[in-house]
Amino acid sequence: MTNLRALFATTALVACGTAALAEDINITVWAGGSNDADSYRWEAIEIAADMLEREYALQGEELNITVEAKRDFGGWEEFKQAVTLAAEAGTAPTIVVTSHLDIAPWSQAGYIVPVEDYLDLDAWPLNDIYPNLMKIAAYDGVQWGLPQDAESRPFFFWKETLKGIGYSDADIDALPAKVASGEYTLQNVLVDAKKAVDMGLVEAGYGFYPRVSNGPDFAQFYQSFGGVLQDPETGKLVLDKAAMEEMYQFFVDAVAAGVTRKNHIGTEWSQWYNEVANGKAALWHGGTWHYARYTGQEGNADFFGTIQFSLIPAGNDKGHANTITQPLVYLLTDQQDDKVEEVAAQLLKIASEPRMNALHAIKSAHLGITKQQSNVELYSNNRWADEATERLLGTANAQPNHLQYGVFAETMWKGLEAAWAGVQTPAEAVAAVEAEMTAKLGDELIVR
Amino acid sequence: MRRINWLGLAFLSPALVMVTLFFLLPVVLTGFFAFTNMSTATGVMGGDYLLNTSTLRALADQGLPKETLAKLEAGGYRVDEAGLAALAAATSPATADELAQLHAGAEFSDRRDMERALKDLRANAIRNTRDRKAATELFKRSILNERFSEEAAFRAALSETGTRPELSDQITEAAFTGWVWTTDNVKLLFALPSTLRYAANTLLYVTLTLAFNVGFGLFLAITTFYLPKGQGALFRAIWFLPRILPPVLYVLMWRWFTWDTGFLSTVSGYLGMSPKNWMLDTSYHAWTAVVLINGFVGASMGMIIFSSAIRAIPTSMLHASEVDGASRWQQVRWIIVPQLAWPILFITCYQTLSLLTSFEYILLATDGGPGRSTEVWSLAAYHTALSNYGGNLEYGLGASFALVLVVIGIGASLIYFRLFNFKRLITKPLIEG
Amino acid sequence: MPAKNWPILLLLTVVTLPLLIMCGYSVIDAFTDTAPGSLVPTRFTLEHFRFLWEPVAEARGSIWVATANTFVFATTSALVVTMVSLTAGYALSRLNFPARGFFLAGLIVLHAFPTITLIIAIFLILQMLGLYDTLIGVIVVKTALELPLGIWIMKGFYDTVPWEIEMAGVQDGASRATVWWYLVLPQVQPGLMALILFSFLSGWSEYILPQVLAPGSDARVLSTYLSSLILDDTKADFNLFKAVGLFYATPVVVIYLLFQKHLMNIYGGGTKG
Repeated sequence: MTNLRALFATTALVACGTAALAEDINITVWAGGSNDADSYRWEAIEIAADMLEREYALQGEELNITVEAKRDFGGWEEFKQAVTLAAEAGTAPTIVVTSHLDIAPWSQAGYIVPVEDYLDLDAWPLNDIYPNLMKIAAYDGVQWGLPQDAESRPFFFWKETLKGIGYSDADIDALPAKVASGEYTLQNVLVDAKKAVDMGLVEAGYGFYPRVSNGPDFAQFYQSFGGVLQDPETGKLVLDKAAMEEMYQFFVDAVAAGVTRKNHIGTEWSQWYNEVANGKAALWHGGTWHYARYTGQEGNADFFGTIQFSLIPAGNDKGHANTITQPLVYLLTDQQDDKVEEVAAQLLKIASEPRMNALHAIKSAHLGITKQQSNVELYSNNRWADEATERLLGTANAQPNHLQYGVFAETMWKGLEAAWAGVQTPAEAVAAVEAEMTAKLGDELIVR
Repeated sequence: MRRINWLGLAFLSPALVMVTLFFLLPVVLTGFFAFTNMSTATGVMGGDYLLNTSTLRALADQGLPKETLAKLEAGGYRVDEAGLAALAAATSPATADELAQLHAGAEFSDRRDMERALKDLRANAIRNTRDRKAATELFKRSILNERFSEEAAFRAALSETGTRPELSDQITEAAFTGWVWTTDNVKLLFALPSTLRYAANTLLYVTLTLAFNVGFGLFLAITTFYLPKGQGALFRAIWFLPRILPPVLYVLMWRWFTWDTGFLSTVSGYLGMSPKNWMLDTSYHAWTAVVLINGFVGASMGMIIFSSAIRAIPTSMLHASEVDGASRWQQVRWIIVPQLAWPILFITCYQTLSLLTSFEYILLATDGGPGRSTEVWSLAAYHTALSNYGGNLEYGLGASFALVLVVIGIGASLIYFRLFNFKRLITKPLIEG
Repeated sequence: MPAKNWPILLLLTVVTLPLLIMCGYSVIDAFTDTAPGSLVPTRFTLEHFRFLWEPVAEARGSIWVATANTFVFATTSALVVTMVSLTAGYALSRLNFPARGFFLAGLIVLHAFPTITLIIAIFLILQMLGLYDTLIGVIVVKTALELPLGIWIMKGFYDTVPWEIEMAGVQDGASRATVWWYLVLPQVQPGLMALILFSFLSGWSEYILPQVLAPGSDARVLSTYLSSLILDDTKADFNLFKAVGLFYATPVVVIYLLFQKHLMNIYGGGTKG
């Protein structure tokens, strides 16, 4: 607190409009898991830099901001490796666009600084961001980051196949509500998928066509069977053995019924997208951003005419229909020069404005982060953004920001992989998962 | 007396410096890391002292008295005399007076509420966000979420909160964010069911690949030996390609060959089979792919060494056997293979070690899948230390995985010294002798 | 014997077929388009080589930077490995100095060591030296890891030089260093050449070290360029991959064709499993 005075003095000086020399600020942005459609993750920062330069200029401070973006990291794995090691080496990028799950370890390590140190959260546009999204970008009561986008992970149905197994148009229209109320469950999914395969509407293994790699999606199925990820009271992670086993059993049943391929995991993503976007699969699950991919690259010209979407159905009485949102977040890393952090924070604030975020939301088919986005025509005129927000985002929850959640998620996935591929039975897999989690998480785990 | 030539050490020194720095030192460090809980969260270079709600939760589990916890948790922001005085000094007495009028004695648990209180100032508004943030800090009375880089500073701040001195050691220990020494990793290695599987996978991988390398290397060496010179050389040159092509490209070729849309699927499609991923279909497919990918590379080494060993066999022996009416098979069985006993032993020893520690091709091809069925020990070390879904890389645990390999490597080398008679390798220099 | 050779020839051709197909189609697919579900190319095109004049996608670096980096990386590490091995190999082969046996034994142990598992520790050291995420850093590490093998190979070449040459030089009153420089070095020139080529190829192919130790775009090399292209899930464009792969492999194949004999000598005892 010793340099407080100095701080007040400098701002006073700047406010007085004393002509200052042009100052060069270099901002680097690293964006993980981003495709071409996600370019506004860093382009928004570039646009914001232009705005901010003008704002500073009016206040008499010449600022020269250069933004350098990087996104080609291979996969998430390589990206996280790169950010972590760079931060450890003191060469971290100024702004990181990453999963909110990284907040816990990275804040503990001191790699990132809270945005609340620089920004007034009560001021526009930050006070317009959905509170549940802000909460996801916070950890231990500190606002570390800002949500960069919102999404959720719906269940998809190919309409024509549904009609083929006896659904009427009205049935299909009523499906999302039935899923939400718990009337249509994962057991119905198996039945319908089996029908589609047996009737030859889709090939064997294409009745239910899940995600091909680890992701938050599978935690949804755990929740469908009544699983809870984090204990709200103690903040500890929860392994609900019964829910986990039923969840594994569901995928094993799907394989046994011939509606899901035993070797499904590891299928090439590009192939997967192409297949689901063009009706090769009857039922599948994905993300809201898939809309852009299906209608763009994969050439599905009539999304709403061919595909129905809903929450992930409930698995049993204990669970409920749900969806997980995993917003990416903007994080600020700890820099030598406080001024850089300050400028970067300002850039994040500008990039979060509804009109700016709408650019990203529409280009990449993500959902908006602010309430006022519905007043941006670009966004409100978009049928997908509008319907998906309404049908999904309201009930969406997120995975917990917990130091050890990575271990939890990986172990859960390993168990699922083993059961799915038939290496272990679901019961064996759960036993192995329990042993591994108990050993690694210790006190931070509650086993039910 | 043998003369000592110091030129030798001088000649060796550049190599010594580099090898020590980037080879021996890492080995030693790995040994140390294996006994730490180092991870992304702890950082590599020391740590700070930080109390946050997670730490408090852990402390509650350790049985810290409730009243102490309450004290640590409470406080938050308080508009008290000291704070107002500091505000008066930093801005103006009028500002402090106005705040005192509005909020004197108020307590806020949340930083945002304190900021809001400051925003209530009308006559003496603090307009700049940064300045308001700074002013907020003047009223902070809790040490929650504050990073201290020095232990002493943390302890001082801790005692200011009125925490009982006998508890401060425990709290300081919990608040430390850096890594600490521990033997938990070793315990984990024994406790985790997955490590046993990795070990079994490794055994399978080394055995199968080695068998393929030796067997197929032998096959290539013998068959090309019986071909006319030009043809033999051509095949040897082709079989040398897997070794010489960059791994990323070589594995790409395999991926294309085995992929759903690749060669095998297309050909089997002609036969009416539905396309499938021949590399990742089942764990048997994956193992076949892993063994073949590594085996194609490894066999060329055997091929070259065996070829030169075969050529060293006196041709008179082979001719004599032909005169005796021996078939080629008999020739191979009774003359060639016995001559290759030592080269085979050498390849076996050499490749056991290098297979044990190599994972590049597996990483690029199956990445340990499907269902972790091809996850070998060295790949597990790499995955543990350098990839984590939640961004928390476990360096310490990864290092303990690596340490096991280091120990095996050194042990095996010592055995090999005996086996191959190390003394024989060190011929004495003649000039100083 | 030629009459009886055709079964062997047939057998060898059959087992070699997968390899021939993989290599053959790498070239074919790089220059042609093929309809899905078919193996017969339909048209010739150079479109798959568009990466040569434009970035493949937004915010993806140019291949020429990666190529230049790979070249610098491979050349530098090859030269350093060769120079250091040249002196160290001679010392171990010919000179008597304290603890020589120990160094030789150490060399053999290191030769077969799990290098890559040390990567975290190596990262830490690079970071302390300020060389993390730089090309120099990766070069230094690659060189150090390649050294034990390089020294071992050079020692092998020195071992074959007849002692008489040095004896004669020393008797004429020349120092050991002079003898080494003027009399012995010319004798091991083929070995020197082989080692340079070998280390160059090894550097050119290296993947994990640059991937982990230099993830930034400034130090990108061809192997990481290609692998990040493959890992990007938006397009599994095997034609493009193969075109990039062909570009990447060209120097390797050229060197291999020209210096096959040299290389086979070394690879016989090479590092890769």
